[in-house]
Amino acid sequence: MIGESSELVLEATSRPALGQALRELVAFRGTILAFAERDVRVKYKQAVLGVAWALIQPLAFLAIFALFFGRLAKIGGDGVPYAAFALTALVPWNYVATTVSFGSAALLNDASLVRKVYFPREVPVLAAAVAAVVDFSAGLVAFLALGPILGAHLSWTALLVPLLLPLVAAPAVGLSLALAALNVYYRDFRYALPLSIQLWMFASPVAYPLTRIPAEWQLLYAFLNPVAGPLEGFRRVLGLGVLPSPELLVASLVGGVVWLWLGYRLFKAMEPNFADVI
Amino acid sequence: MAWAVRFEDVSKRYRGGGPRYGSLRHDVAQGFKRLGRLFSSDGTEPRGTLALDQVSFEVAQGESFAIIGPNGAGKTTALKIISRISYPTSGRVRVRGRVGALIEVGSGVHPELTARENIWLYGQILGMGKADVRRRFDEIVEFAELGHALDTPVKMYSSGMQLRLGFAVASHLDPEVLVVDEALAVGDAGFQAKCVERMTKLVSEGRTLLFVSHNLSAVEAMCRRAVFLLNGRVEASATARDALRAYLDWVDDRERRRKGRGTRIVGRGLCLERVSVHGADGEERYVFDSGEPLEIRFHVFAECALSRPWFSIGITDGRPGALVLCSMLEKHEGFDLTPGKHLVTCRLAPLPLGPRVYELYASVREGTGVADLLDWSPVGAIRVRLPETSVGPGAVTTPWIYGAVRVDQNWCLDE
Repeated sequence: MIGESSELVLEATSRPALGQALRELVAFRGTILAFAERDVRVKYKQAVLGVAWALIQPLAFLAIFALFFGRLAKIGGDGVPYAAFALTALVPWNYVATTVSFGSAALLNDASLVRKVYFPREVPVLAAAVAAVVDFSAGLVAFLALGPILGAHLSWTALLVPLLLPLVAAPAVGLSLALAALNVYYRDFRYALPLSIQLWMFASPVAYPLTRIPAEWQLLYAFLNPVAGPLEGFRRVLGLGVLPSPELLVASLVGGVVWLWLGYRLFKAMEPNFADVI
Repeated sequence: MAWAVRFEDVSKRYRGGGPRYGSLRHDVAQGFKRLGRLFSSDGTEPRGTLALDQVSFEVAQGESFAIIGPNGAGKTTALKIISRISYPTSGRVRVRGRVGALIEVGSGVHPELTARENIWLYGQILGMGKADVRRRFDEIVEFAELGHALDTPVKMYSSGMQLRLGFAVASHLDPEVLVVDEALAVGDAGFQAKCVERMTKLVSEGRTLLFVSHNLSAVEAMCRRAVFLLNGRVEASATARDALRAYLDWVDDRERRRKGRGTRIVGRGLCLERVSVHGADGEERYVFDSGEPLEIRFHVFAECALSRPWFSIGITDGRPGALVLCSMLEKHEGFDLTPGKHLVTCRLAPLPLGPRVYELYASVREGTGVADLLDWSPVGAIRVRLPETSVGPGAVTTPWIYGAVRVDQNWCLDE
C-alpha cells in the first residue's frame, strides 16, 4: 500500500535542498491559491466599499503628490501631466506596499495554522503576493479609465504590464519572506514596517521620475532598488506609450533575484523553529 | 509487520524553558553575554527544557496507537514532529505514508467566512485537492451537522459548532497516518461518538492511527498499543492495557504520596504520631488489591490517662462525606490509655473498593462523647488496584473512572 519511496525522515538537519523545496512549493500551489482566495474574501467581506479600497490609497497619494510635488515643487512628468505621471507608478507601488505589509505579517496572522498544520511555511507569504494582484488589477482598471483623462498616452504597450508585474513582485516577495521570518522571532520588525515602506517609496521613483537620477548612476540605482526599473517601465508603457528601457529592467531583474534569493535563504534558515517560537 | 512511524532516539529541546518569542533587545543582550562567556571560558551546557528525551518507539502499519501521559510529558511535541510542524533536536523520526493531523482542530476556521467558504478553503489549506473537496463536500456538511447554516458566517456559530466544522473537514482528509490530538474533547456526546466511529472506520480501512488523549477509556477502547511518556521519557511501551495500567499506577502513586504525607497531629491530651497501613500479613504497605483486608495502626502518645477514648476512621475518595466509616462508637468497644505510647489497631474485613486513591481520616473523642481529643483530620492515603485478572475491553479504565464501590458480580441473559 505504502511504498518505501514515500518514506519521510525527520531529523534536526532535514532541511530540504533548494530544488526539492521548490518542487514541493509547486505541489502546494493549490494551497497558495486557497490562502490567497481566503485573504481576498476576508479582506472585502465586511468593507462596504469593497474593492474600492484598493483605489482609495493610490488616489489619496495621487492627490497629495499632485499638490506638493506637481504644483509646489514643480517636478515634471517627463512629458505627461504630473497627475497621470504619478498614477502610473502609484498603482504598481501600491502592489509592492500591499504585498510587503500583508506578506510580512502572514505567518503571525496564521500563527494557529503554523502551529498545527504542515505546509511549506512560505505558502502564506506567497499567497499575500497573489492576493495583492486583485488590488493591483482594480487599480489598473481605474488607471485605464482615469489615465487618459489625466493626460496619459495609452497605447498597445499597456499590454506589457503583465510582464512587468513579476519584476516588482520579485523584490517585494523577497523582502516579505525575510520580514515574515524575522517577525516570528522579533515583533520589533512589525512596528518598524509602516515607516520603512514609506521611506522605501520615497527612495523609489514614484513621486519623481527616474531621470532625476544622474545618468551614470541609474543602472546601479535600478540594481540596488529593484523596484526602480520596473516602476520606470510601468511609467513608460502606461503613461508615455513607449517601450521600457531594457538595461534598467535587466539591472532591476538581477537585483530582484538577489533580493528574492537572500529573502528565501533567510526564511529557510529560520523556518525549522517557526512552530516552536511563533 | 512493517512500521508506519518510527522514533529513533528522538530528543527535543525547547530553548529557554519552552516555546517563546524574543525581542531583539533580549537577543542582543544574550549575544553580548555569550561573548563575555567566551573570555571567561566556562563551558556552555545546553539550556532549555527537554520536551522529549531519547524517545524510541515504533507504530506498525494499520495499528491504532496511543501516546498517554500527564500534561507536559511531551505527547503533543511527539505528534508535532510526526506532522512536520516541529523538528527534533536530535535523533530521527521516520514516517511512511501521508500524514493527516487533527491537532486542536478548529484553529483554521475563519470566523468571517461562511461554513461553505470555510470547508472549501480550509479543506485545501489542509492539503485536499479541489476535486477532493468538491467530492466530499456533502459528506463533510452532513458530518458537521451544519446543513441548515451553511451560508452563515462562522462567527455566528456557537464555539461547539465551530469546532465541529473544523473536525469535520480535517477528518475527511485521506491520510495514511492519522494523527489525533484531543479531538474528542470537541462537541457533545453524540458528536464524540461520531468521531470515535469515524476514527475506528479509518483504522478498519487499514490506516494507522496515532492518538493522544486524556480520555483514557477512549484510548482503551480504540488502541491496541500505547506508549506512556513521562517527563519526555518513555516510561512504558506495551499493549494499550499495560501502558494504561502503568500510567494509572503512576497517577495513583503520585496522588497517594501527595495526600499521604505523614504529619504528626497534636490533639488535646493526645498526640497522633503517625498512622500506618498494613496488609493482613502485617507488612506495611499502601497499595492493595480491590477486596483485600487491611490493618490501620494508630501510633499515639497519651499525655495523661484517658478513659475509653473513641477512635473513628473514615475512608473517602474525595467526594463529600466518608465512603467507609469505622468507629468504636458503633460497637461500644474501648480501652483505657495510660500516659505514654500506645498502638491502636483497627483490622478491616475485605474492602469492596474500586481502584483509585482513598484518603484516610481519623478523629478521637473523649470517653463521655462530648469533646474531641483529636479533630477529624486527614491522616494518610492508600491506593486500591484492580486485580490483574480483569481482562474486558474496559478493564483498566472503566472502574477507575466511575465506581468507588466494587462488588462481585455475575451477568447472565435471563430472557
